[in-house]
Formats: sequence, structure tokens, C-alpha cells
Amino acid sequence: MKKKFRSLACWADSFSGKLLLGSFLPSLVLVAWWLAIRSGTAVVPTFGDVFRVLLHPFQVPPDLYSRSLAFSLMMTLLRFVIGFSLGVITAVPLGLWAARNRIVDRILYPVIQIARPINPIVLLPIATVIFGLSSIASVTIGGADAWKHDIWDQVQLAMIFILWWGAFFPVFLSTMSGVRSVRTAYLETMMLLGASRMLVLRKVIIPGALPSIAGGMRIALGVTWLVLIAAEIFPGTRSGIGYMLCTACKTSDYQYTFAAMIVIGLVGLLTDVLFFRLERSAGHWQSRER
Amino acid sequence: MEQGRFFSLSNVRKEFLTQRGERVAALDSVTFEAASGNLTCIVGPTGSGKSTLLRLIAGLETPDAGTVRVNGSAPVPSQGIGYLTQEHSLFPWLRVKDNIGLPFDVKGTMAEEKDKQIRNISIALGIADALERYPYELSGGMQKRTSLGRLIASGARCWLMDEPFSALDDRTAHQLQRLLLKIAAELGLTVLFVTHSIDEAVFLADRIIVLSAGPGRVVDIYDINIEHPRNRLSSEFGQFLEAIRCRIESVIDETG
Repeated sequence: MKKKFRSLACWADSFSGKLLLGSFLPSLVLVAWWLAIRSGTAVVPTFGDVFRVLLHPFQVPPDLYSRSLAFSLMMTLLRFVIGFSLGVITAVPLGLWAARNRIVDRILYPVIQIARPINPIVLLPIATVIFGLSSIASVTIGGADAWKHDIWDQVQLAMIFILWWGAFFPVFLSTMSGVRSVRTAYLETMMLLGASRMLVLRKVIIPGALPSIAGGMRIALGVTWLVLIAAEIFPGTRSGIGYMLCTACKTSDYQYTFAAMIVIGLVGLLTDVLFFRLERSAGHWQSRER
Repeated sequence: MEQGRFFSLSNVRKEFLTQRGERVAALDSVTFEAASGNLTCIVGPTGSGKSTLLRLIAGLETPDAGTVRVNGSAPVPSQGIGYLTQEHSLFPWLRVKDNIGLPFDVKGTMAEEKDKQIRNISIALGIADALERYPYELSGGMQKRTSLGRLIASGARCWLMDEPFSALDDRTAHQLQRLLLKIAAELGLTVLFVTHSIDEAVFLADRIIVLSAGPGRVVDIYDINIEHPRNRLSSEFGQFLEAIRCRIESVIDETG
């Protein structure tokens, strides 16, 4: 019995196992979708309608005041990359500093703990009041081509702010946790060798904390993605996958709604797989350290 | 033979604070000297403060009373003392060659010279084939050899070793003991070696210091005047082994 179980577990780790097991629940969803189509409900588009949208991503949807699926995805990803990157770029150095400096930690601790539980979405109205409808285009200097201006004009600062908010805290806290988990013996080894602070940071602290940082980034990824899609539904947004999903619902173009949901899910899955590999690569030594 | 530094402790006391806020002494009135170029072993029952003693000499802790001197000066961590513990402290995210090369990175050695030195050290230690591996891919013995490689690369002429071979099987431990003696002789090292194995202490040491149970005090000092290489089956070896074993047992009995 044990042997059978062990070989089943091995199969689950194989490519075919992962493919089949991973397809199980989506297959059930497809079956449920098919049954809903059969029932004749108006809100459920057919497979054909949805795949037509997915297969023609550059087509501008008629009767729907939104851009093409490809453009919408591009805008969503652009906002995501900017907000997420800003979150990581600010969180990692600050987390490194706070973990190594007690004074900085004491100053930041109450602020972090108060701000952290605040859902970024609820900050959007406040951020809109603070930043207005300013965008990256409105704050950058110099003339740009009209199409570039059009794109950057849709990357609103208020939205970038809440995306930054969503990404910052998981990465900051995981950075701090990672730095503090670096074994004292490693730091003492460097101390005894007479290593400079910069070398200790490069050779010990950053690599030692990297698995935790990567883990925090993976969590931040999920949070930021969720926040972004929700934020694109807010008034003032003119593009994005979330915007397309919402407007399609209003105009009863449900094939676009479903297509947008599939795209959201697939991008979420792909980015998670990417960061999972990053996390595993950064921490290849962790589970095997002895 | 190049002369290394020597260690000198005088009435050293070290206390630690427990979770409940009580002060517990790990060492009390410890006084001894370790001569330059010699290998001195420290033995004693568990809790006698052997590891604390090494940390004081390395400069990682400061005594609460008494003086610790390394070549006449108070110890500071970056003074060029090598330190090796039971846990290898190899960086698991660095390959073997990068672990050995760490002291060269600290010194800013040019890449070509650094690679040459790493190669020479790894050949001498028998780990030349393992340079591209990570520490977790090595056996316990290979990890210790890599740690020794890093010590050699550091250029330190005084080594503090805290039960470095205790987690290894006898055969591997004996191989590494012989290797340590060879390296110490070639480089003229001054070594302070903590061990709970009296056999290991008699095999390696020029002098053995016996500590009492905690708080540790020096209760006896033995000068081992057996020529190297030492034979574990010889009567002299057996006599020292027996004498020190009895002394430690009496120390344990005294403290109950």
C-alpha cells in the first residue's frame, strides 16, 4: 500500500502528472460552463464567442467603449510593472536597513504596523484626492509622440500609489525577516575575516535573505494583481483588463467579460510560476543545508 | 618555522544572563597560557565553558573580569585569528571555490592569483574535484576540508577550533586530525582546540588543559611529550588517556 502511494506521489511530480492533475479543476469549470450554456442563460457566452475574442486580441470590440484585448492587457501589465517595481525597489533597501539598524526599526515599526492592514483599494479615493487625475504623462517633461502620450496618460499616479502600497509591505516584512534569519555564525565568520560592511551585505546578508525576499515578492505579486484589477473598475480609468471586464458587463458583451477573466487568471498563473521558480532558484540551498 | 602568536588568560570570568534575568557564570577564574607554535587542547565535561573560552579569545565576547591577551593585546575579531566550529559555517549559497576564496575577496586579491591559490589549497586538501559543488552536496569530511581550506586562505596563524570533527565518524575524524597536524607543522600554526574526546586531545595536543564542570575553572594541565606521529596503541598514549579520563571523571564526581 505504501509502495503504491509512493509511486502515485512520484507520478504527481512528473510532467504528465502535473498536467493531468492541474487540468482537473479547470475541466470541471469547463463542464459547469457547458452546462450553463445548455441551460440557455443569457449571461453565459458560448465557448466559440469567447475563443473568438481570445484569438483576435487586436480587434477593437464593437459596441464596447474599450480598446482591444491586447491593448487592455498591455496597459494593465504596464501599471503592474511600474507599481510592483516601485514597491520592491523601496521595500528591499528599507527592509535591509531596518533589520540591521534598531533605531530605524523603532521609527518604522508603528507606522508599518498601522499602515499594513489598510486595504490598498480603500485608499484609491484618497489617492485620487491627493494626486487628482495626474498621470505619468502629465508630470514628465518634453513633448512625446501622441501615441506615447496616450499610453502614459492612462498610467495614473493614484493607481501607481495604491499598487506600490500593495507591493511594499509584504516585501518589506519578508526582507526584514530574511535578514534576521541569517545565521549569526555567518556574520561572525565575516567579522573574523575583517570583511567590510559592503562585502558582508553582498556576500552574506543579501544571498542569505534572498529566499525570504523572493517569497515576499511572490505574495506581493498576488496582492498587487488583485488590487490592480479592482482599481481598474473605478471611475476615471479608461483602459485595462479590469476596465474591459466591467464595461463588457454593463453592455452585456459577456464574451469580453469571460475573455478578460481568462486572461486575468492566466497572467496570474504565469507570473506566479515565474516567481515560484525565482524563489526556488534563490533558495536552492535552504532545504538541503546541514 | 614561522612563529605564531600566543594566548594568555588571567582570572577570566564570564557570565551570561538567562531568560529569567539570572546571572550564570560560564567561566570563573580561568588562567592559562598557550605557547606560540603549539597545539593546545581544552577538554572538560559538558557545560564547562569551553566554547565560551574560544569566543573570548576570538574577540566575539568580552570577559566580565580578568584579562584575555592575544600576543600581548586585547583580542579584536578582525585580528587575523581563524575560527572553526562544529558547524562548518560554510556559506551554503556559495560553491566550494567561492567559500575558500572568501578571504581573498576580503583582501581584494586579483582574480588570477586568487584562482591559483584556491587551486593549490584544494589540491593540498584533496578537494580539487569538488570546487564547483555546493556545501550541501559534500560529505561531512569534505565540508570540514573546505572549512580548513578557508582557514588556510585567510592566512591566519592562530586557529581556534571548537569541536570541529566531533560530528564525523572515527575514520574521517582521524584523517582530518592527521591533516591538521600536517598543516599546523607546515604553517607554524598556534592552535587552540576544544574537544570532548580525550583520545583526540592526546593524539593532537602538545598541552591539554582540563576544565571543571560549569562554571569552568582550570583544574589540571598536562604536557604531552610524545613525539609525532603518535601511536594510539602505545603505552604512553594509553597512560595519558587514562590519567586525563580519570581526572575528568573525578571533576564530574566532585560537582555531583
